[in-house]
Amino acid sequence: MFSLSEKGVKKFPNVAKMFDWLSMCTYCSNCGQFYEYGKERNFAAVNCPSGDYFKFSVYNGSRSRNTLLKGLLSGRISLDDEAAKILFSCTLCGACQQMCETDVKDWILYIEEAARADVQRNSVGVPEGIQTWSKHIPLEHNPYIEKHSERLNWIPKSIRSSLPKKAEYVYFVGCTASYRQKNIALATIELLRKLNVDFTIVQDEWCCGSPLLRTGQFDRAKETALHNINVIGKHGDKIITTCAGCYRSLEKDYKKESPEGYKDLFETSFDMPVIHTIEVLDKAVKKGEVTFREDPRWAHKRVTYHDSCHIGRHCGIYEQPRDVLRAMPIIFVEMERNRQWSFCCGAGGGIRGGMPEYSLETAMKRNQEAIGIKAEIMTSVCPFCYRNFSDAAKKWDMPLGVWDIIEIANETMIVDKR
Amino acid sequence: MSDAIKKRGSDEIYNKLKEIVGEEYCSNKESDLFHYSIDLTWYTPSMPDYVVAPLDVSEIQKIVRLANLTHTPIIPYCTGTNIGGLCIPEEGGIILDFRRMNRIIRIDTETEYTIIEPGVTHAQLSAALKEVGFESSWGVHPAPTSHLAMTVNHGIGHLSGRFGVNSQFISGMEVVLPTGEVAKIGSCAYSDSWHSLYPLPMLSGLFIGWLGTTGIVTKLGIWIHKIRPFNDVYSIAAEDMESISSYMKRWSDYQLCDDNTAVSWWLAQIPIPYPYIEKPKDDPEWFAYTVVTGWSEDEISFKRKIWEKSRDTAIKEDNAKLVDFEYPSEAKRGRTELPSRIVGSTKNYAKSCGGGIAWPGTFTPLKNWPMLYKEWKKIYIKHNLSPAVRVTNYWGPHYGMFRAMTPFDKRDPNSVNKAKAAMSEAIKVGQKYGMIPYKPPVDYWNILNEHADQGWIMLLTRVKDMLDPNHIMNPGKLGVR
Ligand SMILES: Cc1cc2nc3c(=O)[nH]c(=O)nc-3n(C[C@H](O)[C@H](O)[C@H](O)COP(=O)(O)OP(=O)(O)OC[C@H]3O[C@@H](n4cnc5c(N)ncnc54)[C@H](O)[C@@H]3O)c2cc1C
Ligand code: SF4
Ligand code: SF4
Repeated sequence: MFSLSEKGVKKFPNVAKMFDWLSMCTYCSNCGQFYEYGKERNFAAVNCPSGDYFKFSVYNGSRSRNTLLKGLLSGRISLDDEAAKILFSCTLCGACQQMCETDVKDWILYIEEAARADVQRNSVGVPEGIQTWSKHIPLEHNPYIEKHSERLNWIPKSIRSSLPKKAEYVYFVGCTASYRQKNIALATIELLRKLNVDFTIVQDEWCCGSPLLRTGQFDRAKETALHNINVIGKHGDKIITTCAGCYRSLEKDYKKESPEGYKDLFETSFDMPVIHTIEVLDKAVKKGEVTFREDPRWAHKRVTYHDSCHIGRHCGIYEQPRDVLRAMPIIFVEMERNRQWSFCCGAGGGIRGGMPEYSLETAMKRNQEAIGIKAEIMTSVCPFCYRNFSDAAKKWDMPLGVWDIIEIANETMIVDKR
Repeated sequence: MSDAIKKRGSDEIYNKLKEIVGEEYCSNKESDLFHYSIDLTWYTPSMPDYVVAPLDVSEIQKIVRLANLTHTPIIPYCTGTNIGGLCIPEEGGIILDFRRMNRIIRIDTETEYTIIEPGVTHAQLSAALKEVGFESSWGVHPAPTSHLAMTVNHGIGHLSGRFGVNSQFISGMEVVLPTGEVAKIGSCAYSDSWHSLYPLPMLSGLFIGWLGTTGIVTKLGIWIHKIRPFNDVYSIAAEDMESISSYMKRWSDYQLCDDNTAVSWWLAQIPIPYPYIEKPKDDPEWFAYTVVTGWSEDEISFKRKIWEKSRDTAIKEDNAKLVDFEYPSEAKRGRTELPSRIVGSTKNYAKSCGGGIAWPGTFTPLKNWPMLYKEWKKIYIKHNLSPAVRVTNYWGPHYGMFRAMTPFDKRDPNSVNKAKAAMSEAIKVGQKYGMIPYKPPVDYWNILNEHADQGWIMLLTRVKDMLDPNHIMNPGKLGVR
């Protein structure tokens, strides 16, 4: 009933390679909503940002995209702008994957990225915003239409000159923190210095490749990954990053075979340890080296934490950010959709650039959830989530402060390294 | 670059639908429609021409009137997981996707009923009811599917052993008729109380079990039940169907359990072996479990005593060859923590087989189970498929489920055809033993109707014609119109 057609294979060679995995999707719809039985309460919630924004079932969860791809591969329907829109409207948040229990589970996001690669090959319906930044990355190595030569402009001169050539850690800054959320990059280097971490920054860091991989541009992603692997290796033995997207790329896409990552495609033996700044901080807190003082901007305020998809569901880091927040003189409050049940901020998967209205509205919904539990501050450990939340808060004039945990920590921590 | 979007249907109808629900809730684009052309089963794919996501009754009425004027079929769709091709259009038409109509309108904990819209999922309702200490009868379906669609089509759930199928809990209805009028049925027709269909004429029967062919249920009143704080699961295995069914009969007679089920060795495997493999010689062929609930430990231990008595009576009086077996703790959780990701997942049936799942069955008198099982087993093995049969008693031994979950490989036309052939044969044989299929695909109706009472067919057709003179409601799905 769903055999591969000649036309399908020709148009979708990347997905066709995964046809056997795709075929394991049963159309059961478990991926369409969060659900968990609980002794006291059962939990049920909206999981798919795309299904929540676009109203038809065809936008909801991985079932919808898997079904569409079966139609395209079997030649029953053909690729057009609407099919491309459906395929490009997934934020790749992995919420649906969390619910799936058949053998397609591990492949869901990988197949979606392969589908985008095929749509790109056919040059049909790729959102304009994505096309714009995609052309820029090979030239200037960032998706923000900025100059590569200005990548490090955010670093204060005094610090820049003191950065060693080689260090234990390379701080991989990432494009969002380098060009847009410089506040987070600055907070990070200040925090690392206070913690006496031996780190440097690579002058010639390129985009980690996440936006390219997520939108199916594998050749470009390979080029950027191999460059980064090469330059990082010259300057350090381990990597620190403050960005959830970069973390996922470096830790999974560079290091793990398919369907977890793209190591096989990149043909690299890269295996450098990668940690997120929040892990460094968490360790220091747990060792008793760091405490936090009261600061009127945050002290005794209701603070919640948003699990960024890339570091949470994709990489399993849930507790460290919470442990750090709990060590602060704040009131930590949890949204109902937390940890593996987190609701996407709407920025990932090429959505922020490709479908900005949908992207911001999704961030607004998540902000509303935070406000619904009377949180005054939304935190995350991802500059990209930060950006979407703060833009949405501004656009809808929402009573919610948006901060990266690293910023709060940097300004309030007292270091005691006896 | 952009590629022209492929569209279906007529622009005129599409434009009218757009006027009714708004552009963003309406589509005639092929890529949006393909989703509704298939389901889990071997059913032949077929495309609708439009999909609309209405918000309320007045929009539905307008859509229905338009459909009558233009003789366009309407197919009610919630999640399309019915395992019977029931939402796959026979003649194109408009899919009514109820995703937006997902309000729980009322939970009345005093009179113990709820009112829901079609898009309310089991997950959503179970969470809302549990907050106030109540439950409905949850099946082993995926939790994000419709409770209304399940209930109006005689769905079965974890309380069916105690109360019968879910349609027996219906306490009120609001229906948009195929001609566009709205009618309330039950006490809600006379007041705002949705507590009962009784003692009025049971007009609800015009819409229960009709697979969306006689009207669109826009609100459903359903009795809810207080969650009992204590539960337990007892299990027993047997060498053969005769033994397991005599034990189940003895135990069902007491009407003390919520669920009384047995599964064949093939269904007990996760996932069901596909293709067929032989059962290891020393393994029992049947595994039975029963779920009991109660208000106190004493009640549970009383039920345990009675259960032991019925088991022992089956051994002594019926010569049942029963053996003890420990019910796995994960399965126990799955049976008592519903709706469940453990049992409500297709992983149990079709995790790795190539996406296909369908079933023949369901309601079959218990006394015929052993003969029917023998015949089905032969058929299934002949087609290289596992006889993954489940049997369950409803409301004591009055009517029972007998069905085979059948995984197959949708990549392989041969596998699809074999599965379909095996199931059609199973239905034919089942008829001899009094089996009535549940949520049946048209192919099963065609087999059944060949031998049906002609008066029954005449009445079925007349009711359908009376309600739906233009044959717009999910046409073709009853095998008679
Ligand atoms: C693995 C698995 C296990 C299952 N186990 C069970 C089980 O234990 N018990 C059980 O009952 N079911 C079971 N099912 C079947 C099905 O999943 C459930 O019954 C589910 O609740 C149906 O909801 P749906 O949203 O998929 O309905 P749909 O498939 O969308 O609709 C079902 C039928 O109802 C009609 N319909 C939809 N909305 C309306 C309306 N508003 N008015 C009138 N007619 C309407 C449709 O036209 C169709 O004929 C199982 C399915 C799977 C895949
Ligand atoms: S992706 Fe998984 S959960 Fe979703 S329909 Fe397919 S098999 Fe079911
Ligand atoms: S990855 Fe996220 S956005 Fe994409 S289908 Fe799954 S839940 Fe929806």
